[in-house]
Amino acid sequence: MEDDAETASIYELLQLMSSLNDTRRAILLSLAHIYPRSVSGVQLSRLIGYSGKSRSLYRGVISHLKENELIQIDQLTPKLYAIRVNNEHPLLSVLVELCRAHGETARKIYLKALEEE
Amino acid sequence: MEDILLKQARALYRDRLRIALAAFIFVFAITFYLFYSPEIITLGVVPPINLAPSGWTQGFAVVASVNTIGFFSTIVLMALIFRFWSWAFLPGPASTFTLAVLRGILGSQSTIRYTLGKRFRVTLENGLQFDVNCRIKEKNTGEWFAYRLVSTKIQSDGLRNIALRHGFGVKDDRFVANVSNDELHLRTFLLTQAMMLVGPSI
Repeated sequence: MEDDAETASIYELLQLMSSLNDTRRAILLSLAHIYPRSVSGVQLSRLIGYSGKSRSLYRGVISHLKENELIQIDQLTPKLYAIRVNNEHPLLSVLVELCRAHGETARKIYLKALEEE
Repeated sequence: MEDILLKQARALYRDRLRIALAAFIFVFAITFYLFYSPEIITLGVVPPINLAPSGWTQGFAVVASVNTIGFFSTIVLMALIFRFWSWAFLPGPASTFTLAVLRGILGSQSTIRYTLGKRFRVTLENGLQFDVNCRIKEKNTGEWFAYRLVSTKIQSDGLRNIALRHGFGVKDDRFVANVSNDELHLRTFLLTQAMMLVGPSI
């Protein structure tokens, strides 16, 4: 029975992820892998290979993701934000769980990419 | 990958902006001529300070005249017409694209009404409605043809949970989301699904 609920969540997660465009998907996937670590806007735009300005990423995609409660943003200083995936979201907690269980190597790659500053 | 129709719409919109600007300059010149070539009707206002050369006083009379008021109100009217035009209409290919996407996912059972203000109002089979508002260009991000999905007010207990599970936020009892044009198809689908889930309880 529990197994059934879990596959249902995975199905919904799959639907949700496929409904998002590549930028949003890349953001959620990378943030879910490195959870509970948070990143700044510039780090995030580098991490997902965003070619535009990080400011336009910020005002568009990130604020939209926040509106839909997919990510959380903490304002550290007026100019510095910490962005991380919203683990209280019913589906993204499943994603984070999946990444934790199976995404060890992927997490290493993401974290290595963040180190080089 | 951008849809070919949206590419056309974007080019069309840009062209129309250029044409509008050119027409504006042309009409500006004509209005200028029309308003200042007839007799100048002064307002009878005297210059606040004594201007030494008499030419200055005459010039002031031209500036503070009924003609100037008329001229500026015409300019404002033109600007307003332009604002209305860009607020109300979507370039043809873009509305074709939007309607095709919505029709494709919702089928013939739902009705879609395209109204002024670049808004598509969708009524589902169960009577619930949602709006798809299109913006030609986002100011902050420079993104072309972004959409905002807003549902009608829904009273339901599990509203927030259902919204989150379909990737939507909740804002005063409505499902809301900003979506880009390549997401429109699947996110409308998810919105429809979410609204069917909350539907029967009403």
